[in-house]
Formats: sequence, C-alpha cells, structure tokens
Amino acid sequence: MADALSLTAYDLWKTYGDEAVVQGVSFTLAPGEIVGLLGPNGAGKTTTVGMLFGTVIPTKGFVQFGPWQLPGQGQLARAQMGIVTQEDNLDPDFTVFKNLTHFAHHYRITGAAARQRAGELLALVNLEHRADAQVDELSGGMKRRLVLARALLNQPQIVFLDEPTTGLDPDARQDFWRLVQQLKAKGCGILLTTHYMDEAQRLCDRLLLLQQGKVIDEGTPTDLVARVIGRAIAEVEGVDPALLKDLAARHGAWYRAFGSAHLVTLPDGDPETLWAAIAAHQPSRLVRRPANLEDVFLRLTGSVLE
Amino acid sequence: MKLITATPWGIYSVWWRHFQVYRSTWLVNFLPPISEPIVYLVAFGYGLTPLIGDVEYLGQMIPYPQFLAPGMIAIGVLFQSFFEGAYSSFIRLNFQKTWQALLTAPLSYTDVFLGDWFWAATKGTIAGTLTGIVAVLANLYDLSSLVLSLPLIILGSLLFGAFGLLVAGTVNKVDQVNVPIFLVVIPMFTLSGTYFPRDTLPPLLARFAGLLPLASLVDLLRWPLGLPPWWPLLLLWLIGWMVVLARLAALRIYPRLFS
Repeated sequence: MADALSLTAYDLWKTYGDEAVVQGVSFTLAPGEIVGLLGPNGAGKTTTVGMLFGTVIPTKGFVQFGPWQLPGQGQLARAQMGIVTQEDNLDPDFTVFKNLTHFAHHYRITGAAARQRAGELLALVNLEHRADAQVDELSGGMKRRLVLARALLNQPQIVFLDEPTTGLDPDARQDFWRLVQQLKAKGCGILLTTHYMDEAQRLCDRLLLLQQGKVIDEGTPTDLVARVIGRAIAEVEGVDPALLKDLAARHGAWYRAFGSAHLVTLPDGDPETLWAAIAAHQPSRLVRRPANLEDVFLRLTGSVLE
Repeated sequence: MKLITATPWGIYSVWWRHFQVYRSTWLVNFLPPISEPIVYLVAFGYGLTPLIGDVEYLGQMIPYPQFLAPGMIAIGVLFQSFFEGAYSSFIRLNFQKTWQALLTAPLSYTDVFLGDWFWAATKGTIAGTLTGIVAVLANLYDLSSLVLSLPLIILGSLLFGAFGLLVAGTVNKVDQVNVPIFLVVIPMFTLSGTYFPRDTLPPLLARFAGLLPLASLVDLLRWPLGLPPWWPLLLLWLIGWMVVLARLAALRIYPRLFS
C-alpha cells in the first residue's frame, strides 16, 4: 500500500429545503482505524457517507482525503477509495468473475492483471467456487461479499461500508466481519455505518453516535459505555415504576422504562446496595447484565436503535 | 461536483462496459436491424411499388424502393439509438443502479453520461449501417454513398440517443417511456418523409413535418438522389437539436444521482 492517507470531514452540513439532514459532522478517519457511524434509520448516516465520496454535495463544509478535497475532487479521490453502498448495484448482465474484471476496467486494470486481481479477491471473499455464477444466483451474503470484493479492486486506502450487513443472517454477518477485520489488519481505514449495536461494538475502534444528523457523542465503544452508563445495568419487572425511579434517584442512578421492563444503572462504586434495594421489592424478574451501546443510545437519545 | 470533468478513458470505460453486455448477446442484437429493413423493404418495396410506381422527389421521378431505402436507414438510427437511450438507460439508472455503481469508481458524471450517450449512438450507428448494407445488397443504395453517409448516421444516432436519455432522465416509471414514443417518435417516423414525400401532406402539416429532426436526417441521407439547396441548414438544424437535447438530458439525469 502506498503512503497511508487519512480522511477528515470538516463541519459537514446537508439541508434539503428546511430540513437539516446532517448538522455539523466532523471527524477524522486514520489509516488502519475503523470508525463507526451509529444511529437509527434516518439519522443521516448514508447522507454523510455520500458526502465523503462525492455523490451528496454538502450544503456547508468539505472533506479532505489526502491531497484531494471533496466534493470538487471526488473523481480523483475515488481512485483511492473503496465504496460499498447500501444498495446492491452489482451488474446482473455479468457473471461473478466478470463483475470484477469489467469493473476493474474503470480503474485501468485490464487483461491478465484484471483477471488475476479478480481471482485474488474472489479467494479473499470465499466466492471462488461461484466465479461463473450469475449475480442473481447468489445469496444476500454472497452478494455483499462480492460488492466488497469489487470495492477492493483498486487496493483502496479507505473503505466505506454503508450498512453492509443489513438483512444478512448471523453466519453471513460473521463472515463479513471477518473480512472487515482483515482489511483493518492490512492498514485500511474503514468507515462503517450501522444500526447494529453488536456490529459497532465488535468492529469499531471509535464511534460517532448520530441522531437527527448531529453527533451526540463519540468515543471508543468501551469508553462510551463506561462514561454514559457504567459497568452494569439491572433489568427489572414487576416493581412499581415510581418506586424504582425514586430508588434510582437516591442512588444517583439512571432509570428508564423500556417496554414491559425497567432499566436501572448500577453505580460502579457500589452496585450491590442498589441491587439489594431493588431485590427487596421482590420483582417478578430481576436480571443484572453488562451495559452496552444500546443502553448508551437509549440514555443519550431516549430512543432505541432500529 | 464539477459537471464537466471527463477523461477519454472514463468515457471509453463506460462505453466498453455496455459493449461487453452487447457482445454477450450479439446475435440477438444484430437481428432487429437486419430483419426489420428486409421486412420493410420487401413489404413496402415489393408490395407498394406496383401500386405507387415512381415517386417525385426534388423534381425527378425515383423508383419507390430507392426512395424508401434512405428512410429505412434513418428509421433504424432513430429506433435503436432512442430505445437504447430511453429504455436501457432508464433500467440502468433506476433498476440495475449501474450509473450509481459506476460513480463509486473514479469516474465523473460526465464520463458516465457521455459513455452512455455514445453507446446509444453506437447502437444507432450499427443499426443504420446494417440497414444500409441491406439496401446496398438490394441495389438500392451505393456502397460508396453508404460510406460517405456514415457521419450523418452517427450524427442522427447522437441526436436520437440524446433524446432517449432525456426521456430516461425525465420519466419516473418505465411505462411512461411510451408517452414520448406515441407523441413524438411514431408521428416523427411516419411523417418525416420516410415512407412518402412530405409534399403529399397538407401544406401546414408538411411544413411542421419538415421541422422534425428525422426529416432533416432523411433528406440528408437521400443525398445520392439530390439535395435541397438549403441542405447546410438541415445539417445545422440536426447539430442544434443534438446539442440542446444532450444538454437537457445531462441536466435531467444529474439530480437523480447527486443531491
């Protein structure tokens, strides 16, 4: 890989009429780093990614990627980018193999070089055995892996993965995660958008939590959980909510009704006192579990990721 | 994003992608431009010639099949380039998302647009040339005339390819492509002097038909039979249409890809 390039988004805004879809998003993606944009549907993740590779023109702000500034130099910048969009836009007119060799042509990789690169990438994404298949014959997971392979034809410095595992079964997601981790190990900077908390927690070095186009918090997954929630949380059912709320307030804990259950953070310093106090009210269900990013999002936004 | 940042490789690369698809089904693709003119020339040429005999064109009497052949070339150009631009580009834009995929590569919008447009024009040129070859084999058009007419065939293909792209960038559903077909394409290909001299039409209608771009193309393709004195204006008229339609098409498609 040539000299590693980093990408910086400077105060990105996007408005459609009166609606501000992205509001002042700034961040840096360093080589070998996985940054996650985590947020519910409609949070502005895809719009932000579009601004990063040049198909969405920012109302304000710009993106600096190595020597190139976007949106003006998007065409040049994309020579060093790999882009996996949300939609499957594989070429149904070609086989799996030809999807790669023909797309390689756009990067001026032709003939034997294109065939060799396609073969390497099909091996990487474990699709060698389907090289002659038509795209329509592939499963959802295979298609996503093929789109990823296509995005890697140019050996990009950074890769954008826009909700890459949406709609995939757990096995296919695991396969995809393995590929993402391999790319990171090779020094590729990766921007991942997702609304899957487990995916963000498992893959990302750093997270930006997006809500209504704004970054509401950022940090490492562990840091966010520790800072916003703490180590543990109690899930309670069958106790008067007013009572629980009062208990939480007296112990400096956070309380939130969540479906038929109630969530109460257990203070890191002394979780046992509050736990015992809740247990004393004989709840029909009382579970202690580690806090996670879903809890962080719920606390920061009042809504769940979906 | 700058609208005009094209590279020769980028344009060629997009064109090449479409050519690869065409090549994989070349037999099917070659069939219509060969079979259609044969059918029309046989049906109209042999069927109508005994009834019509010669037709008057620019003050001289011409055997009907000879009059018809350039019209058939122009129709081949119109249909193949228009349908490639309208239907195929619409599908690539809205169903297959080919345009969107291409824009994840280091290609500009202009590369993708010009690649698509030139491909539509290529299909029109192939159709026009094949139709011309059929006409040459039927002794209705000289081979040398066909070779010299190639620039006109290419110009017509670019024009009607741009018209197709404008339609692809304007309609929201594939069925809506039928609207310009019924309102523009069919009236144009029937009234433009393809099958019969326009001066047999009522004067007002003949004047209107003469303004249609296909009429100029047909008149120019009939150059071996003679040209009207104002033929340079016909050429300019075609170039003007082409520029305007291509510009409008580019402006209509752009917002479908960029926001």
